[in-house]
Amino acid sequence: MGRTLEKLESIRQGELSAVDNVWRALENIEKLDKKINSFIELNPNAVAEAEAVHRRLQKGEKVGRLAGLVIGVKSNINVTGLRATCASRTLDNYVSTYDADVVKRVRAEGGIVIGVNNMDEFACGSSGETSAFGPTDNPAAPGHIPGGSSSGGGAAIAAGLCDLCLGTDTGGSIRNPASHCGVVGVKPTYGLVPRQGLIDLGMSLDQIGPIAPDVVGAAMLLETIAGKTQNECVMFDVDQVEYLDRLGDGVKGMKVGVSPKFRELTDPAVMGVIDRSVDKLRDLGAEIVDVQLPNLERGLTAYYLIVSVEFFSGTRKFDGRRYGKKIEDVCGDEVLRRILRGRYISQKEYRGKFYQRALQVRTLVKQELMAALEKVDVIVGPTVPKLPHRFGAKLTPMEMYAYDYLTIPTNLAGICGGVVKAGEVGGIPVGLQVQGKVLGEPDMFRVMHVLEATA
Amino acid sequence: MAEKLKEIERSAQEVIDSFVEAAKDLPELKETYYSQETFNVVRPDGEPAPEKERTEFRKRFISNMPGSDDKGNLRVEVARWVER
Repeated sequence: MGRTLEKLESIRQGELSAVDNVWRALENIEKLDKKINSFIELNPNAVAEAEAVHRRLQKGEKVGRLAGLVIGVKSNINVTGLRATCASRTLDNYVSTYDADVVKRVRAEGGIVIGVNNMDEFACGSSGETSAFGPTDNPAAPGHIPGGSSSGGGAAIAAGLCDLCLGTDTGGSIRNPASHCGVVGVKPTYGLVPRQGLIDLGMSLDQIGPIAPDVVGAAMLLETIAGKTQNECVMFDVDQVEYLDRLGDGVKGMKVGVSPKFRELTDPAVMGVIDRSVDKLRDLGAEIVDVQLPNLERGLTAYYLIVSVEFFSGTRKFDGRRYGKKIEDVCGDEVLRRILRGRYISQKEYRGKFYQRALQVRTLVKQELMAALEKVDVIVGPTVPKLPHRFGAKLTPMEMYAYDYLTIPTNLAGICGGVVKAGEVGGIPVGLQVQGKVLGEPDMFRVMHVLEATA
Repeated sequence: MAEKLKEIERSAQEVIDSFVEAAKDLPELKETYYSQETFNVVRPDGEPAPEKERTEFRKRFISNMPGSDDKGNLRVEVARWVER
């Protein structure tokens, strides 16, 4: 049945009360999170909120689809009364004044926000090491990075500290920690989920999405947060989405794309795990089709130019005058690096030398992915080209950015991408990425569900 | 600190240089600012938030101010060029 449905069922049947579920989570966090460091702050009202859900269940009143589940929220998403620090000293005293739309939707369905998850500072990182509140450990491979930037969410789910998490993904920030921590993570199609209430890294690339212990949990959470709202204008005109009803349809007759480019960019040990999963899909009746993505890797540096310009623009409000501290005075190296790069590009942007050129490369990567997805239903491949490094290893910025080679193109094209555990190399999880068409989440979830069942 | 800043600037420049190198042979294309062109960009005005929510918002908003006077007004830095 899977962890999420089992938990929901036992809460609905009264075998586990919503209040006990919250207390268990708090006890586990108290016991385990000193070492993992996946939470920055806990919600002091979580037990009271669970009591309200419990009372409704006892009275036989209608409850939402997430009733009693314990949810962690990344620290760049506003939750009323909790600090939205983005794991930075810039905003270490900033208390959210409102709930982001996604948080309102989670609460409306009975989800209990247990606290705020740790992350790379301002989502600028792929390792979980750059938080001002200290690094997050990987419960699935202790001593190794959990990936980032949604490091706390990935680690909290892997350690069983909460039921579901909300992360954000600009260039792989949900999928990368999902892969390293052996859990499920989804970057929805750009424009499917409202970003209102998100403190952005790159406004043309960011999406909020689920991190979960299983595919059902990710699908349920995405069903909850997706759909248009009047608070967000950069959205598809989509009211409601349904994924669960088609999850069990299998992959027979589906066309699944694989690209030789993935092998060029990926550690052979990681690729071996992915190859075995592709074989499973073939055995289950999927047609495996080669697709060409010749310029895939060129997306990496184009992305870092685009995101730096958007980040530079987005952070000009952190001037320390209205709230918080001036960002350049207190931020870490990677945040400063992106601000300086963004400033430099903005100053030197004459005759379309850098930013406009990067937007053209974005067009190229998008065109290639769209052409490939016309031939197939989904594209499968590795999520991260290498295994997570151990804490203490010194990587240059370019070596660190290389973690994102395979996840960035999904954001540049605005398509959806989901990650499910495919296997392990030396005890370290390896996640398989399923990329789907624009609003192609139903097919993406079907493939993920099949792979999860056969893992 | 100056040394560190120089190193950060150098690595920021490194990414720009490697982008220029990677993009030099690519064709001229239309720029993509947002991935889709079919977004619902026209939205109606919403209903105002309930009174209670607005009051609490104001309280929280004020609590985030870096400085305030005894009446709760925002205290801001006076620009250096302002004559007093």
